[in-house]
Amino acid sequence: MFSYYCNLALRSFKRNKVLTALMVLAIALGIGASMTTLTVFYVLSGDPMPGRSHTLFHPQLDMEGMNGYLKGEEPQIQLSRFDAETLLREKRGDLQAMMTGGSVSITPQKAELVPFIAEARYTTAEMFPMFQVPMLHGGAWSAADDEAHARVAVISKSLNQKLFGGASSVGKTLRIEDADVTIVGVLDDWRPSPKFYDVFAQRGYGETEDVYLPFSTSRDLKLGRSGNMDCWGDTSGQETDVNAPCAWIQYWVQLDTPEKVDAYRQYLMNYSDQQRAAGRFERPTNIRLRNVMEWLDFHRIVPSDVTMQVYLAFAFLGVCLLNTIGLLLAKFLRRSSELGVRRALGATRNAIFQQCMIEAGAIGIAGGVLGLGLAWLGLWGVRQQPVDYADLAHLNTSMLLATFAIAVTASLLAGLLPAFRAMQITPAMQLKAQ
Amino acid sequence: MLEMSQVTKIYRTELVETHALRSLELHVGAGEFVAVTGPSGSGKTTFLNIAGLLETYSSGIYKLDGEDVSNLSDNQRSKLRNQKIGFIFQSFNLIPDLNLFDNADVPLRYRGMPAAERKRRIEEALGRVGLGSRMKHYPAELSGGQQQRAAIARALAGSPKLLLADEPTGNLDTHMARGVMELLEEINQQGTTIVMVTHDSELAARAQRNVHIVDGMATDLATEPALVRAALGATPYLPS
Amino acid sequence: MEFRPILSTLSRHKTAAALIVLEIAIACAIICNAMFLIGGRITQISEVSGVADEELLRVQLTGIGDDPNPDATTRSDLAVLRALPGVKDATVLNQVPFGRSSWNSGVRIQKDQQRSSLNATVYMSEEGFMGTTGLTLVAGRAFEPGEYVDFSELRKPGVAGEVPVAIITRSMGEALFPGESPVGKSFYSWGENPTRIVGVVDHLVRPNAQGGPPAREHTMIFPLRPTYDVGGNYLVRTDPTRRAEVLAAAIKALRANPPQRIVREDRSMSLSDIRREYHQQSRSMAWLLGAVILALLVVTSLGIIGLASFWVEQRTRQIGVRRALGATRGQILRYFQVENFLLATTGIVLGMLLAFGINQLLMEKYELPRLPWYYLPIGAVVLWVLGQLAVLWPARRAAAVPPAIATRSA
Repeated sequence: MFSYYCNLALRSFKRNKVLTALMVLAIALGIGASMTTLTVFYVLSGDPMPGRSHTLFHPQLDMEGMNGYLKGEEPQIQLSRFDAETLLREKRGDLQAMMTGGSVSITPQKAELVPFIAEARYTTAEMFPMFQVPMLHGGAWSAADDEAHARVAVISKSLNQKLFGGASSVGKTLRIEDADVTIVGVLDDWRPSPKFYDVFAQRGYGETEDVYLPFSTSRDLKLGRSGNMDCWGDTSGQETDVNAPCAWIQYWVQLDTPEKVDAYRQYLMNYSDQQRAAGRFERPTNIRLRNVMEWLDFHRIVPSDVTMQVYLAFAFLGVCLLNTIGLLLAKFLRRSSELGVRRALGATRNAIFQQCMIEAGAIGIAGGVLGLGLAWLGLWGVRQQPVDYADLAHLNTSMLLATFAIAVTASLLAGLLPAFRAMQITPAMQLKAQ
Repeated sequence: MLEMSQVTKIYRTELVETHALRSLELHVGAGEFVAVTGPSGSGKTTFLNIAGLLETYSSGIYKLDGEDVSNLSDNQRSKLRNQKIGFIFQSFNLIPDLNLFDNADVPLRYRGMPAAERKRRIEEALGRVGLGSRMKHYPAELSGGQQQRAAIARALAGSPKLLLADEPTGNLDTHMARGVMELLEEINQQGTTIVMVTHDSELAARAQRNVHIVDGMATDLATEPALVRAALGATPYLPS
Repeated sequence: MEFRPILSTLSRHKTAAALIVLEIAIACAIICNAMFLIGGRITQISEVSGVADEELLRVQLTGIGDDPNPDATTRSDLAVLRALPGVKDATVLNQVPFGRSSWNSGVRIQKDQQRSSLNATVYMSEEGFMGTTGLTLVAGRAFEPGEYVDFSELRKPGVAGEVPVAIITRSMGEALFPGESPVGKSFYSWGENPTRIVGVVDHLVRPNAQGGPPAREHTMIFPLRPTYDVGGNYLVRTDPTRRAEVLAAAIKALRANPPQRIVREDRSMSLSDIRREYHQQSRSMAWLLGAVILALLVVTSLGIIGLASFWVEQRTRQIGVRRALGATRGQILRYFQVENFLLATTGIVLGMLLAFGINQLLMEKYELPRLPWYYLPIGAVVLWVLGQLAVLWPARRAAAVPPAIATRSA
């Protein structure tokens, strides 16, 4: 019977080409808009470290003076250099790293290439295993390198391509500002999205950095930093000093079990108490320990325009569906004579219901196909935007399936009322008098 | 075959109660050819609706082929209708975007018959009405008479026990009408019970028996010759 | 025109009528809010920056390694730039309007205030700042030559970071000292000592949207000469028609001026280009909203046409009977137009309530202002007109139904 109904649906479409086309178009527009915005939202709100995001944490300490203190307020977003280095030394997590961003000039050895600026990250050895950063050649530096302020670096795949044509550059020299560093590793493709580890850099979705250097080395070389720097006291122009009252370091720690999380939380509180006793902290202990998803949520990483667009698109889909309900109703009731005859010839109410629902579903499938094309077009449009997530806007398999699922579900929902009305049509005899 | 006893149908709106049928008594035996006559508004259409299980009745008993249909659900009535009854309408009511084959196919589909058997029955039925060569034609391409014959084929394809015809020649000219009536007689002779509603006296005369419905009540004209004359206004031709 | 027969007919087709009413209501609600959002974006895009957008170029560069004398380099750069043909003036800045990176500071009115009164952005300026940017002073005066200090001096260890005088914007003045002239008054921001306000400029926007729309122009200007390695921004003023050539010349000149530095060509462009990029998000959103409004109008009118045509078909016999009884074509046409008007009105009334509801949600979730009342009649008129246009075609088909239909049986 299913194929019979499909056949009937197709014939009905052929008879009412214009009406069917309008219905399919309406659904396609709604689906296209919804899938475009939903894909962008899905891409932007995804888990950058699937399976691991619940074990990576960003601690926060309330390091400021009492000036401006308000109970219950959020502590500083980042850590001060002193506190970060201390926490790193005390190593209470399974893995931990401190880091911040910067930009450095690179003077290539090849004379044809002019010096250029590259985005950099100053961090410590454990960042690489903690974020499971994939390596193409070589590996990260070690904790000993951090201690020794070693002149080493890890570079990205694209930088490696630009400078060394893609060959292994491990052991080669890189001229950064006016110093030379030795390359110890080359990254493979790596683009966690959102770029959770530094929410202040490039609005959250940009490419990852090209050069990674030990933090200690970056201070030796006085390399320029970027990102947010929040100072609460007199810095005398030396904000990047160890003892400067400034928060500018991101700190990430891996804690594998909930017990370890609790223990670390306790550790942070004890640490705050100690610092207050030592006179460095003034405020009452006020710590935070958020994991990756909580962190992203707290920073409202998804731009508000994007969420607004999703709501708008789905509201538009709703209007398209109302439209479809009306047009389907008209379509079925227009055929009340045929449906009455079928009832007289023995079709049960359910049979008529099924016939109509399958017709609605068929329109949904057609609308889904066209809508997919429109969504593809829409995402192309998004990629032309000068936003940092532009190149992430692609349809993937799950979004593709979702498109059809939504299209068919929506059209079946739209078909419920008209099909229900159609099945109420009394058998044949009404045809005598119109 | 068709046994109606004390069947009453009352239509109720907020203000008005209409008694379409009042304690109707009508019995049709298997193999009979009965014409049902009556003035407009007499209840013949209601009778046909009820006989065809298209409507329910308010009180009384209707037995179709020995089965009491009083308490059947809508689904059960649909099934019974599909299996035991064939319909022939005044305005043919063929589905315009299906060809003759597919039109005749409709009732068989709802019976859940396998494709091979459906094909066999449809070809046989269309052949029987003389439209075997026109199976792929669409109703719009046929004359009125041919369309009615296609409708008859649709009714026959399921081998119904009872054929209900509502003014089957109402939309046809005399020549085509004669053809259709001859076909109906042939079908009846082959054993199918036919109940035909008509207000054409000549047509009614060709049936074995006439029943006259007035004000919701039936009078069997076969047993009331005077009424027959009065009702029909002419000497009827009653085949023995 | 009799409403009662129309209403009673509609009540017998409740479902279809309800669908049209609902569709119009939702469309109205979305359209009213969308128009309002577009208005907001347009306001944002056309904001007054305070500087001479069309005449300014920004060149960004960074040093390679350590520069032992950045002050001298900066002075040399500025001399080179000012000597270029077509250049009216040039200055060096720590940040530029629409440049996104910004320096911000808390501002307090009382010295021992616990919390800042507001957070303002800081433009460090040297002597050429006012002339290059084209800012308009509305009160007080510009900085005097003796008030300028090198920023590098303040950064020396042991030197107190004091800023004795500053110029602020009118908006910041209103926020700190409502209703009074800020000139002569003081506030506390950098260092321990108060900073006295010597001048007020009409407008000067922040580099980014920090603090939201109310804080858009919480800006202060300090007489601290930045060096090129504090932000790396050179601002050059020229004639609008000569911008491309002057930009190329400026980049070339700076590249040639020792010590060797990297000029960021991807970030060196006219200020109007930077501004356009800054507002790109708003612009896209406005276009998107416009497209949605258009699509909604199209879809809604298709729905009206579809259902109205269906009703005409269903009622062909009735219409024929009316014509047979003496109705003119015009009266049949008007019947359908009035019917559509009634449905549209119901939908619009519902839609306005819905519009406020949606606006309430937007206010809570996105911190948007309340929908001004005058958007509602605009939305209403648009939908009324749309409905009438959409129903025109089916209504004319209805008017064309011949009276002879009445006498024909089904």
